[in-house]
Amino acid sequence: MSEARIAVPESAPAGGSSRRRLRDWLAQERVFRLIPFVLVEVVFLFVIIIPFLLMVYISFLKWRANRPFEQAFLSGFGNYEQVLTAPGFWSALGHTFYFAGCAVVLELVIGFVLAMFVSRTVRARGLYITIFLVPMMIVPVVVGYNFTMLYIDSGPINQLLAPFLEPLGIDPRIRWLSDPAAAQWAVILADVWQWTSLTFLIFLSGFSALPKQLINAARVMGATAWQIFWRVELPLLKPAIVIAVVIRSMEALKIFDPVVLLTAGGPGTSTQTIAFYLWEQVWVFNKFSFGAAASILLLIIFATLIFFGIYLLVRQSAAVAQQRAP
Amino acid sequence: MAQIVLKDVVKKFGAHVAVKGVNLQVRDSEFLIMVGPSGCGKTTTLNMISGLERPTSGEIAIGGRVVNDLEPGERGLGMVFQDLALFPHLTVYENIAFGLRVKKVAEREVDSRVRAAAEAMHISPLLAKRPAQCSGGESQRVALARTIVTNPAVFLMDEPLSSLDAKLRVDMRTELKRLHARLKATFVYVTHDQAEAMTMADRIVVMSGGVVEQVGEPLEIYRKPASQFVAGFFGTPTMNFLSGKIESANGGLVFQASNLRQRLAASLPSGLAGRNVVLGVRSEHVTVGANGGTPGKVQLIEPLGAESLVFFEFGGATPLVAKIDPERSLDTGDNLTFDFDPAGCHLFDADTGARLN
Ligand SMILES: Nc1ncnc2c1ncn2[C@@H]1O[C@H](COP(=O)(O)OP(=O)(O)O)[C@@H](O)[C@H]1O
Ligand SMILES: [Mg+2]
Repeated sequence: MSEARIAVPESAPAGGSSRRRLRDWLAQERVFRLIPFVLVEVVFLFVIIIPFLLMVYISFLKWRANRPFEQAFLSGFGNYEQVLTAPGFWSALGHTFYFAGCAVVLELVIGFVLAMFVSRTVRARGLYITIFLVPMMIVPVVVGYNFTMLYIDSGPINQLLAPFLEPLGIDPRIRWLSDPAAAQWAVILADVWQWTSLTFLIFLSGFSALPKQLINAARVMGATAWQIFWRVELPLLKPAIVIAVVIRSMEALKIFDPVVLLTAGGPGTSTQTIAFYLWEQVWVFNKFSFGAAASILLLIIFATLIFFGIYLLVRQSAAVAQQRAP
Repeated sequence: MAQIVLKDVVKKFGAHVAVKGVNLQVRDSEFLIMVGPSGCGKTTTLNMISGLERPTSGEIAIGGRVVNDLEPGERGLGMVFQDLALFPHLTVYENIAFGLRVKKVAEREVDSRVRAAAEAMHISPLLAKRPAQCSGGESQRVALARTIVTNPAVFLMDEPLSSLDAKLRVDMRTELKRLHARLKATFVYVTHDQAEAMTMADRIVVMSGGVVEQVGEPLEIYRKPASQFVAGFFGTPTMNFLSGKIESANGGLVFQASNLRQRLAASLPSGLAGRNVVLGVRSEHVTVGANGGTPGKVQLIEPLGAESLVFFEFGGATPLVAKIDPERSLDTGDNLTFDFDPAGCHLFDADTGARLN
C-alpha cells in the first residue's frame, strides 16, 4: 500500500499536462493493480480503525450520553476499574459462558445424531434435510416471538411435558419465563432450536464426504458397525467437529436476541448475557464510556478464545491437507 | 481349503442388470483373474464374493459354505481396493493392525504379527509413518501387508495396481505372483488390463456386459478365443478381423472377402461352407511377401525393436497389421503381398460372434 503513496508525484505542473501525467500514471499496470486495495484500505480505515480508536478514546473518558460530549473529562483507567468491579459484568459473563456452553454442547450432540441418521436414510433424504434446515432460515426475532408463545405456563411445551412430568410428581406448570433456572433454559433451548440446523448441516456434509471405500475396507476386516463408527468415522469427522465447535462457540458467546425477546434479562438478572448487559448499560443507562471499556475488555477475552479456536482450526485443516496429499 | 463357487449369480441395480447369471468355480489356491472392459460387472462380482453387495439371486459358496447371508467380516477373506483405502488417520502400523484389533487379538500377538507382515512386504521402516507420507509403491505394500496379516484363505483384489506408474506396475506383477506362490491362498483379482491378466493368472475369466465370455488358462484364451470379443480383447496389436463368407473349393474350404481369398485349414468341417463369418488373424500369423499372396500397400511401419509392425491396406474395409522382421526393408508406400497362416485363422459367426473352428 505504502508503495502507491510513495509513487504519487510530489508536485505536478499545473494545466493539461498535469492531467495527462496523472492519467499516464494511473494507467501504469503497477498502479492500476493497487487501486482496489486503496479502496479496501479506505473502507477499512473508516469502518474499523477510526471507530475503534474512538472507542478506545471514549473508554478513557468519563462520559454519559445525557451530558454534552464537551463536558466529558479524562478519567484514565477509571472505567476499566468500574467494569472489573461491577458484579453485573461478571454475572453476565458467567451466564454467557453457561448458556454458550450448554447450547453448543446440545447443538453439537443433536446435530451430530440427526446428521448421522439422515446420512444413513435412503428414502426422503431431501425432505428431512429441508425440514431440519428450516429453523436456521427463520429470522431470530420471529423465533423469539414464537418461543414466547410456546413458553406460556399453560402453553404447548408444558402440555407436551405434562404426561411425562406428572407421574414423577413434578408440577407440570413450569414457569418458563419467570422462574430463574427455567428462564435460563428457555433461552438456551431457543438458541438450540435455531442453531442445531447449522451443526446438522456441517455434520451432514462431513458424513457425506466420508470415503465409502474406507468403511468397506473396515467391514471386510470384520469391524462391527460400532467399531467402524469409533475407529473410522468419528476420527475422520474430527475436522467437521472442530469447525462446528468453533463457529458455534463464537456465535453463542454473542447470544442476544432470545434474551431480549423472551426474558429481557430477567427474572432479576438471571438471564442477562454479556451482550444484553452491555446493551442495557449503554442504551438504557447511557453509560457510554463504561460500555466502551467493557467492550475492550471483552474484545481481549473473546479474541484470546477465538485465536485459540482458529489455531485449532488451522492445525486441523493442515492435518487434513496432509492426509489428502498424494 | 478355499474354493469359491458362484451359481447363477445375478445382480440388479434397480432396472439395470450389472451381472447376468455368472457361474464360476475358483479352485483352491489358484490365481484367478477377472478381466473385461470397464463397466462389465467385475467389481460387482467381486463385491458379491466379499459380501459388500448382496446378489439379487443365485448362490455363493466359499470353502463349501454358502455365504449369501454372512457379513463381509465373517467370510474369512482379505481385500485390496482399487484406491487402496488405507486409513488416513492411522499410522502404517495401526493400518496393518486394524484387522487384528477389531477382532480383539492380544496386544503381544498384534505386535509380532504386524511386524512379521511388514517384514514380508519390506515396509518395516515405514511403520511409524502415515499413509500420506508413503509413495505409491509403498502404499501398495502397506495395503498388501494389511491384508496378509490376518492370514485370509481368500484374497480379493480390485485393480490394485491401477494407481501405480507403468514401470512399478510391471514390478508389482512379479511381486504379487511371488506372494501368491508363498501364501498358497486363493487369489481373485480384477483388472481391465489384458496384459496384467496374461502375465499373472493361472486362469482368466473374461467378462463382457455382465456375462462370462470365457474361462481358461492364459495361453488357451490367447490361442483359442471363444468369441470375437475375447479374440479382440487379448493381444497387442489387436487381432485383424475381416468379414466374408466360407466357400468350398476343390475339396477344401476357402474364406472369400471382397478382394481377398484365403485358403483355410483342412481340418475344418465342410458343413461350414456357405456361412457368413468373421475371420480373425493375429499379426504374427500374417506372412508378408508370400508368393501368390494378395497385393497390398504399406501405410505405416511401427518399429518395436525385436520386431516391427507393418500396417497395410489391400482394398478391404480396414487396414491389416502384420509382424515382420525389423531388418526387412519395407517403407511407407511400398507394395507387398500377404497371406495368412491357415492354422492361425480364427472363424467367428458373423451374427453371434461365437467361435466356429
Ligand atoms: N451401486 C450401483 N448402483 C447402480 N449401478 C451400479 C452400481 N455399481 C455398479 N453399477 C453399474 O453396474 C455396472 C457394472 O459396474 P462394475 O461392476 O463397477 O464394473 P467394472 O468393475 O467391471 O468396471 C456398471 O454399468 C455400473 O454403472
Ligand atoms: Mg471396477
